[in-house]
Amino acid sequence: METAFATNALGHAYGKIAALHSLSVEVPRGRTGLVGANGAGKSTLIKILLGILRQTTGSATVLDLDTQRETIPIRNVVGYMPEGNCLPLDQTAADFMVYAAGTAGLPADAGRQRASDVLTLVGLAEERFRYLGDFSTGMKQRAKLAQAIVHDPQLVFLDEPTAGLDPSGREEMLDLIARLGTFGIDVVVSSHVLRDIERTCDWVVMLDEGTLLHSGPLGGHLDDRTVRVQVNGDAGPLHADLVRAGATVTADGTRLSVAHADLDVYDMIRDVAAANGTSIRNLDDGAASLEEMFLRRGAR
Amino acid sequence: MSDRGAVYDLGYVPYDGPRLGRRGARATLFGDGVRRVLGIRRKARRKVLPWILIGIAIVPSIVFVGINFFVPGGITEGASTDATHADFYVLNGFLALVFTALAAPELLIPDRRDGVLSILSSRPLTSSDYLGSRFASLIAVVGGFLILPQLVLYVGLAATDSDGLFQGLLDGASALPKILVVALVYIVAYVPLGFVVASLANRKVIASAVYIGAAIGLTAVAEAVVRNNVFAGGRWVALIAPVNTADAAAYWVFGQTSPDSLLAAADISPAVGLFTLMVFGAIGVGFSIYRYRSLM
Repeated sequence: METAFATNALGHAYGKIAALHSLSVEVPRGRTGLVGANGAGKSTLIKILLGILRQTTGSATVLDLDTQRETIPIRNVVGYMPEGNCLPLDQTAADFMVYAAGTAGLPADAGRQRASDVLTLVGLAEERFRYLGDFSTGMKQRAKLAQAIVHDPQLVFLDEPTAGLDPSGREEMLDLIARLGTFGIDVVVSSHVLRDIERTCDWVVMLDEGTLLHSGPLGGHLDDRTVRVQVNGDAGPLHADLVRAGATVTADGTRLSVAHADLDVYDMIRDVAAANGTSIRNLDDGAASLEEMFLRRGAR
Repeated sequence: MSDRGAVYDLGYVPYDGPRLGRRGARATLFGDGVRRVLGIRRKARRKVLPWILIGIAIVPSIVFVGINFFVPGGITEGASTDATHADFYVLNGFLALVFTALAAPELLIPDRRDGVLSILSSRPLTSSDYLGSRFASLIAVVGGFLILPQLVLYVGLAATDSDGLFQGLLDGASALPKILVVALVYIVAYVPLGFVVASLANRKVIASAVYIGAAIGLTAVAEAVVRNNVFAGGRWVALIAPVNTADAAAYWVFGQTSPDSLLAAADISPAVGLFTLMVFGAIGVGFSIYRYRSLM
């Protein structure tokens, strides 16, 4: 598997406070979500992968380059959008993008062309001669994304890219992130908002208090053959008839989770409920949301 | 020709041109540092102070050249211009101190305050690359500030030479290497201290005030201890005063005697003073590098 990044027994501590505990994970190239609550170790992991922080134990690679021995080669081919403020308020967006391209090693002429291209891409073409200090939060987030890709990196780390955005700004940012994959740029998105990860990523790494909860493809937690049904009144008769029809049923109050290896489960529930007169209140697929999965694994 | 317009979405264009790596990144930081100090491509108010100081530094040279032009025979006609260059260096010495007090914080503090350092930390740069580039920017702008009035003086005096401009330039050319050396002396005296203060302070105005206060304070302490012979061996305290040492070294390089020099009063050679400045400068730069290791 071609990996975006991999860690082996990776650990880091800020003084006596451990931020990462023996983290071992392999993440393929593509769009990866790094999820966890605040303090889970997401930003620490990203900083170690960029060579900004040095791990206290273990090892890590980014695009098969060692983070401690090959820091500069890694930084030549990655981009980074930090979580907090990182824009000089007294520069125009265009000037800062040229500067950002130059600090990534692009020649001045190429930097100017790329600056224009990426500002257009993130929807800031009209604002490029405005000072960054005059930008709204949403515009600043776009500018932060633009500087992260201005040098056309192979992989970009986005640390909480939707932080502080209103709903429409959040949607626009998620659309932009989703588009990065089509440009041939692999993405690692850190977020504590699980819906953002579900919308944009195809692989998820879950962290909790510096330990790995789960790493796998985002579609992997979906179960297409399970349907959840909620009834009005007693679910007992429907439960019994579904079992008689060959379904596997688990009950939780008025909710039933129904699975069948061969038949279309929705049709089966409709037919059985119609036959025994049960009133159905709600039907939905059995796909566990990322949030449910996170809670389930975190509770273990 | 078609009368219908068309809009083409060129999409994302990958970059497959040259990448200059660390070398390009360092050059970018250097150029940005020079522009930043001078307020170039910044808001108008950011240009005011540096350019006023540059103007104040040049005006005495222009006035002196003007007087030399109107005085019959010229003030400096037939005499060595070394003393004039040395006097103008000492005259501009304090202005250069103020200029450094503005420039050093401008180079380091906004990157930390605005969080830009977190972006630079992800670029193909080490902390030493960053500091080295910023240090080079500071040397370039302070050096330019020191040398520009001297060049105005050199060209101006040559232009008013009775034997013509070309002969005047030839006659005064022996001062050029000394002008460069003395600029380096002031850079060694002023820049590392400014760098250390800027690497520690979180606000530009505080860094500027602390820097000027430290330079003047050290001079005051050295003056008090040496002139009043406060304790045995106290004369060596003269070496902690960067302004006095730089002024004395400037006169020394131009072959002049420093009037009322603290180093002379302490019976210390300007060469020793210069060496001490270099040691202090190296310690200051080393401290700044150590400080930034934990930041990026």
